[in-house]
Amino acid sequence: MGLDRRAFLGLVAGGTVGAMFTPIPWKLIDDASIWTQNWPWIPRVPKGQVDYVATTSKLCPAGEGLKIMRVAGNPILAGGNPSHPLSCGGVSALARSEVYMLYSPARIKSPMKRNGKTFAPITWEQALVEMAEKLGAAKGAVASISGDNTGTINEVLTALTAKLGSAGSFMMPSEATTAAKAMKLMGAQGQAGYDFENADTVLVLGADIFETWGTSSRNRKAFGANRPAGAKPANSYVYVGPTRNNTAAVCDQWVPAAAADLGVVALGIAWHLLKAGATSNAPGFDTFKAVVNGGFGPEDVKRATGVAPETLAAIAKALASAKAPLVVTGSPFGQGLGAAPVIAGMSLNMLLGRINKPGGVYMLPELPSVVPGALTRAAMLDGDLPAFLKGVESGKTPAPKALLIYDANPAYGLPEAATMAKALEKIPFKVSFSSFMDETAALCDLVLPNSLPLERYDDVATPYGSGFCVYSLVRPIQKPICDTKTTGDVLLGLARKLSIDLKFDNFQQVIKEKVASLAKVSGGFVAKDVMPWQVAAGKPAPALVGGDLWKALEAGYAWTMVGQAAQTSMGFAAEVLAKAVKAGKPATATVLAPYAQLRTGTPVTGMPCQDLTTVPDTELLGDTTFIRVNSETAKALGLKKGQMIKLSGAGVDCQAKVHIFESVMPGMVSAPLGFGHTAFDYYSQGKGANYLSLAAVVEEAGSGLSMWIAPEVKIA
Amino acid sequence: MEEKRSNSAGGVGGMALFALIGFVGALVVGWGIFPKMLYSQKTQPIRFSHTVHTQLGIECEQCHHLGPDGRFAGLPSTESCAECHGEETGDTSANGKEIDKFVKDYVKTGRQVPWLVYQYQPDNVFFSHAAHKGFECTKCHLDVAKTDTPPPYYENRLSGYSKDTMKMWECERCHASMGTSNACFVCHK
Repeated sequence: MGLDRRAFLGLVAGGTVGAMFTPIPWKLIDDASIWTQNWPWIPRVPKGQVDYVATTSKLCPAGEGLKIMRVAGNPILAGGNPSHPLSCGGVSALARSEVYMLYSPARIKSPMKRNGKTFAPITWEQALVEMAEKLGAAKGAVASISGDNTGTINEVLTALTAKLGSAGSFMMPSEATTAAKAMKLMGAQGQAGYDFENADTVLVLGADIFETWGTSSRNRKAFGANRPAGAKPANSYVYVGPTRNNTAAVCDQWVPAAAADLGVVALGIAWHLLKAGATSNAPGFDTFKAVVNGGFGPEDVKRATGVAPETLAAIAKALASAKAPLVVTGSPFGQGLGAAPVIAGMSLNMLLGRINKPGGVYMLPELPSVVPGALTRAAMLDGDLPAFLKGVESGKTPAPKALLIYDANPAYGLPEAATMAKALEKIPFKVSFSSFMDETAALCDLVLPNSLPLERYDDVATPYGSGFCVYSLVRPIQKPICDTKTTGDVLLGLARKLSIDLKFDNFQQVIKEKVASLAKVSGGFVAKDVMPWQVAAGKPAPALVGGDLWKALEAGYAWTMVGQAAQTSMGFAAEVLAKAVKAGKPATATVLAPYAQLRTGTPVTGMPCQDLTTVPDTELLGDTTFIRVNSETAKALGLKKGQMIKLSGAGVDCQAKVHIFESVMPGMVSAPLGFGHTAFDYYSQGKGANYLSLAAVVEEAGSGLSMWIAPEVKIA
Repeated sequence: MEEKRSNSAGGVGGMALFALIGFVGALVVGWGIFPKMLYSQKTQPIRFSHTVHTQLGIECEQCHHLGPDGRFAGLPSTESCAECHGEETGDTSANGKEIDKFVKDYVKTGRQVPWLVYQYQPDNVFFSHAAHKGFECTKCHLDVAKTDTPPPYYENRLSGYSKDTMKMWECERCHASMGTSNACFVCHK
């Protein structure tokens, strides 16, 4: 009986049937389906021991304490640090991107020198030699710009600039620069800090306190802590501004008012308070009273702003009857506000007796400086960068021979971006210390990449808006991924090369000295079991156990102090208000009302690639951004949903699509900031338009401060 | 004609016989040979004796514990092991040599031991040990506490996963029997 055809068929058939009773076909199908998921280019979740290390966010202006989750020593995720007073477990979209940004395609991977229109990599030693040579030749005309409001790096930068012969050390304009100017005009000492935690009635004039203004993560936590779910809120918030933004959306009341009218609204409320008998011993009260009574009655305010008299009266009544009222003033998009609205808002706090009171405004003293010859923060904030650059561009101000740019992107992040870029072009030697190839770095001669915050020592000292003095440590939790260095180390190395004595050899020494100086400050303590707002409310401050402050900071705790800079001459600056705040006729032109969000990054970070996925189709679709108008404005302007339009202002045109959105007040065109980059990477470049470039800079009457709070635009 | 007869004569019986041979052969291959071909056998980089450690009174949770956030810490790090085994012993016993190998190769070099984990789940599965801590470990895991030599690790040549990796139907069966949701999002976030 041989294996003939029929036998063979029988064998095959039997084998096939038999195989059906074995795992072979079923297991192979199953495993093959799993195999298809194992392509080598799919990133794998790393395995290993999970641990958490503490640091502080430096990319996010809110300065939250972070807990970085690591797997086998590799940072994986950034989350809020529940023990940190500026986080309380909260974290912004930008702070959360600290880990992702380590691998951003826009990172500059090594020092680079301009070679025609492109850059060529050089060594750090070559970079130092080049910089020393050029800065040595530029002595007496060296300027610096910093975008870091909170770091001790500014001491190194400004001390070096001063020793080289300063042509000016500037901070990028922000809420902090505006507020500093306002406080200076009022004769106040210290930085205004807002005690949200102890306030029970909060009037927010323009400031997007839950998104871009000040310590936004902490602000959200303070708001939520007094509004437990399902229970009666223990505080009330009223928002006054041109759009129902992320702050207005959760407040108890939104009062639509143009950003240009915030001062008018504030003085309109002051009229009611004065009428009810509010008074003050502060200098300039009588003039202030005369100014308010002379032009900011209910009808004046209604005519100028559209805010109904009864609305103003109700707000004034709520503030006057509250135990701990607080008024906060700021720009709806984090910059460009004049000093006068801040003065007007602060005047309300003074009328209500809220200066240096729990739940009010604390005037916070500046922390001790450690680098000899450095500018104080107040002195740095006093500079007016847009005015300086406009002067350079027009030739009215001599252009510096060299410019050092730290953590700043003025070619993108300032109004009239084209003018600013032209001014930068007039400066013959420019060095950028950016971590990313941003618009300004692309214009520079040398680009010396700073290590990212997770790779370097740095610090965060009392971000603007914090209600208490606070200091937290930024520390490296991994080696630099690229050939980058901490800029503080580079500047100190440069100083040595130029035989300039800045007292320190490396930046870690500077930070350690800073921490040592804080340990000596009377009243300072580590926020651990007792938080600073509890101390403000009357709880005794714990003693600072000497010697262990560095360790406590490394563990993620913050040094804090409920500070009160003594006020000897804080007045109403009524003469500034009289010149700058006018209850005139309402604007008839279309006004741009920009809004900013941390998920679209800052001018320094570009758009964090992971956050791009959170931008809705009603904000960015393809490569086109949307502006928002309400249906009334759309009808008046003849605009339709989805229509492509051109906005023009300050000699610049920007494209946009129309999104009909009823949370924008009539006459306003609300436009997102953070888009329209020409540099960075795929995730930022060419995505929409930079609507900030439509804003023209004007000089505020009375203060002389550059402002661009309500730019007029034309639509075609 | 002869050939045709031959076919028809032995035909049906022969065919049935060969069919039976094929059937049995397939069963032998499918149940006996195929599994051995599908999996490659690997041994752990260090012959870790669970027996020795459990006899010392060390509880499972001392090395395999939940983190403060409820996340399972998994395997102990080299640093954790080095708390007891930080130096070479010079002991020439089998266990002593293995300890010295661990110290020399991993503690001194600062490397983590590339343990072969019997039951890693795919990345798209969110499994919380904290949610399952009421169960005995051995309900799902190999009972290694009584082994002096770790059991061999069988790696599926096709999928790359361990033979002991729990399949989705096993998860679902247990969830169903416990009355726990089997919705996709319970395990796939």
